[in-house]
Amino acid sequence: MESNSTPVVGDESIVGMLGDEDRVSDGIRLMMQKYGEPLYWHIRRIVVSHDDAEDALQETALNVFKYRNTYSKDYPFSSWLYKIATNEALKVLKNHAGFFQSLDDLGDSLKESVRPESDPSADEMLILLQEAIALLPAKQKLVFNLRYYDDKSYEEIHQILGDNIGTLKTNYHYAVEKIKKYLNEHTI
Amino acid sequence: MKDFEEIGKEMPYRMPEHFIEDITERVVSKASVRQSTVHVLFPKVRKSVFWVSIASAAAIALLLLVPFVASDSQIPDYDSISQCKSIDEVFQSMSADDLGLYSMMSNYYGE
Repeated sequence: MESNSTPVVGDESIVGMLGDEDRVSDGIRLMMQKYGEPLYWHIRRIVVSHDDAEDALQETALNVFKYRNTYSKDYPFSSWLYKIATNEALKVLKNHAGFFQSLDDLGDSLKESVRPESDPSADEMLILLQEAIALLPAKQKLVFNLRYYDDKSYEEIHQILGDNIGTLKTNYHYAVEKIKKYLNEHTI
Repeated sequence: MKDFEEIGKEMPYRMPEHFIEDITERVVSKASVRQSTVHVLFPKVRKSVFWVSIASAAAIALLLLVPFVASDSQIPDYDSISQCKSIDEVFQSMSADDLGLYSMMSNYYGE
């Protein structure tokens, strides 16, 4: 189950190490120590399957390494990481969707994979909540997850997803309504 | 019905033990390989050495091209050849030097 890891190193130190050719490996280790688990759960909430989350997380870390010199310090490092992780997670889903399907068409298949992917001892309500989230359109799902699970402010979500704050609030509102409706229909 | 906020933020999934440590070392390993490949292909060289190398290569290329540019050999272009009715007309359009060269090459390749 998810656990919150305590930040151990400042982002500036990590960015500094990633920019130093001799200390890149240490930089990657510190970045993964601090953000590996939150990014894994962020990705997993989108793709559901552990294997897909593993692929997307690995690509995220490799992209951070590849594009480390393009990172601008005007932008929070964590938002940059979440942006890359979100793109990688969506890329995995697009591969599953194929050419003729949109990401929003994957809701049913994602929902169907929630229960098999869940721990046998997991609370039924936790499973139902993830099923409800899986059925959401991609944008609503991203906004809901970042706001509810990652405690991101709308400003941070704006940095990650790029949409204006009004749109993000609307997406969150619709997501909450749909989740409540689903839970209402599937519980006594 | 429970509100989702009462359900909490726990996930029903599990993350394998030591997963983050394992994937971190995998990423570090792949990144090191890429880094060393880049270093082999583009070792750290002084900028001046780099630009001198580029200028030298350009000068050599220019020297190799000068004989072709300076010479006024009459090589039939594609258009003139394609407008000929027969292969004989192609030979007729060639200069004595070109014919000599053709003859020499034909003998060389045994045609």
